[in-house]
Amino acid sequence: MAFVAGTITGTRGRMPPRLARLTIRRPRRRLAGYLVATVGTAALTAALLPFRNGLAPLSKGFGYLVIVVAAAAIGGLGPGILASLLSFLTFNFFFLPPYNSFIIGSGEDIVVLFVFLGLSILISAALARASERAEAAEAREAGLAGLQELSALLVALGAGDGSYDAVLARVGALFGFSSVTLALDEASGPLGDPGMEMALSVGGRSLGRLTLRGERPPLSDAEGRVLRAFSDQLAVVAERDRLSKAAMEAQVYRETDHLRRSLLAAVSHDLRSPLAAIKASVTDLLGEDAEHSPDDLREALESVNDETDRLASMIANLLDMSRIEGGILRARVQGVDLGEVLSECVDRALRRWPGLSISLNVDDDAAGVRADPLFLDRVVANLLENAAKAATESGTRGIEVEAHRDPDDATVVVAVIDHGRGVAPELRRDLFVAFYQVDRRNSHVGTGLGLAICKGFLALMSGAIWVDETVGGGATFRFSLPLAVGSLTGGSLSA
Amino acid sequence: MKKGKVLVVDDEEAIRKAVRRALSSRGFAVEVAADGEEAIGAARTFDPDLVILDLNLPELDGLAVCRHLRAWSAVPILVLSVREDEADKVAALDLGADDYLTKPFGVDELMARVRALLRRTGGQGTPGPFRFNDGDLSIDLSSHTIARGGAEIHLTKTEWSLVEALAQHPGKLLTHGWLLDRVWGNGYEGDVDVLRVFVSQLRRKIEEDPRRPRIVVTDPGIGYRWLLRPSEPPD
Repeated sequence: MAFVAGTITGTRGRMPPRLARLTIRRPRRRLAGYLVATVGTAALTAALLPFRNGLAPLSKGFGYLVIVVAAAAIGGLGPGILASLLSFLTFNFFFLPPYNSFIIGSGEDIVVLFVFLGLSILISAALARASERAEAAEAREAGLAGLQELSALLVALGAGDGSYDAVLARVGALFGFSSVTLALDEASGPLGDPGMEMALSVGGRSLGRLTLRGERPPLSDAEGRVLRAFSDQLAVVAERDRLSKAAMEAQVYRETDHLRRSLLAAVSHDLRSPLAAIKASVTDLLGEDAEHSPDDLREALESVNDETDRLASMIANLLDMSRIEGGILRARVQGVDLGEVLSECVDRALRRWPGLSISLNVDDDAAGVRADPLFLDRVVANLLENAAKAATESGTRGIEVEAHRDPDDATVVVAVIDHGRGVAPELRRDLFVAFYQVDRRNSHVGTGLGLAICKGFLALMSGAIWVDETVGGGATFRFSLPLAVGSLTGGSLSA
Repeated sequence: MKKGKVLVVDDEEAIRKAVRRALSSRGFAVEVAADGEEAIGAARTFDPDLVILDLNLPELDGLAVCRHLRAWSAVPILVLSVREDEADKVAALDLGADDYLTKPFGVDELMARVRALLRRTGGQGTPGPFRFNDGDLSIDLSSHTIARGGAEIHLTKTEWSLVEALAQHPGKLLTHGWLLDRVWGNGYEGDVDVLRVFVSQLRRKIEEDPRRPRIVVTDPGIGYRWLLRPSEPPD
């Protein structure tokens, strides 16, 4: 039962608060009580001795009562009894005639003496008990205050905060431990220095343990109760955090699963539609039970051709999207001749949609950008495909592609302008989310991936994409890329 | 002289064109519609003999169109869908569709279904199909005789009822429920196992290879079809 005389340092070298202090001071107080009993009795005796003959016995007796009371109040029952006995003997020896002997002369004096002894013992006991009770009450109050503080800290912890460090540090400070650590069952770490351990459990299920290390006397009952109450609360909070995390993971899983299913349904429909048109056209022509006109023949073959292109485009988009999402794409950024790339894309688009007119205009100072040529090509191809669809659906036929330098920073902005139905303002933000489709009619938009892919590619090239309304009606999709500085020598600059 | 009027409903232009081409080059008059609203309108004005309907339509969906049409018309409906699952098919058939095709499909499959649905069944003044020949197998419903290679095959009374129910709608999808009702009557609607057993028995008697049936063919989870063409077309 070691205790440390003097100051006990908490986590910061200062006195720990009330609860710990109560336990620590008890042994010291007892010692003090014994000192008062012995030294007090001796001192009083020495003081009163010269007046031995002048004072009545009772008056001298009162003085010793004061010592007894003092000893009992300070040190408890032990010192009180010691003081009573010492006083009894001293009073008898020095102040009851015959002086300097233990023999008591008169019968009255015997009575007085023993009454005095009985009284002083009773007083010691009563005082000691009162003192204990007061101390216990104080301890309870300190315990409650401590527990209240810790509870408040625990309650303030949000679910998923993860770290109980602050609370545990406070526990250490309150109780005078140098370190308090929590080990939850899942985490099996090294045991470290052995310290005091408290098991945490909820509903009979063991969750882990709390380890308290430090140099201080063993815990009092009051302290033990507070610590127990705290660790029970901690167990509940830890369990709540664990369940909350599990619930969130389940939620995420459910949502991902739902998304995966609807993705699969959308993709299935969008891929099978062109296949259905192709199969129907081809088997129609193969059928021997039909008469086909040259127009029928032409229409069927064109349909097969167009639908094959559509399918190829959709599959390319799906592959791109899965690569972007898988994070396995690397942009090979280099100096690129923007005019060349745009002009090639426009030519391809004109071959695919011969009825459209697509104009191209690249400013001189916007000729070079830093980009991955393949990604840039896909972005422009996707935007042209959307514009072509919008133009065809609305019958407007005209598309413009422009590139100019942004005066504010070193970027080039490319605009693809159509005069179709346009996009409502409230839908513009969601347009770039994978699989978003403006309405079900646009299932020709090809699994709704095109814009999400554009966004993904541009992000990899430090660019951005957005949509505005075309003056007079329609959609204008714009994207930005960093300007290439220096000269372009027909291809790549050193990165 | 046109063989019949067909209304084709699909939101994809390429499919509308392909199906229209297939049907018109085979002698049918064709109207097309791109969504549910148009379809209902066209059904009223065009008065088709058959409706080919895609289930995945924008806004008013295919099943709803089916329900609408059935409310005032008995026109045969053939539904098209990208989904193969049984639940989808059953839902469509429950709502009044008569048959089901999964995309992508060949025009030969399409035409077989179309002809099956347009063929008039017996009981309307026109005689139903009653003679079938396939290789060395010959079937005569009116005299209740079946023979393969000259050797007569004996069928029980129930087996004959089953043959009649199937053979009077060559090529058409006949659901379990419909067959059970026709052959066994009330109280047997749920007993698909009974039907399966009898079909299996029938196959053992009349199919050349019962494990690869060509006459009575299963549409899994839904019903059966009689695939022999009648020797004398009913009309």
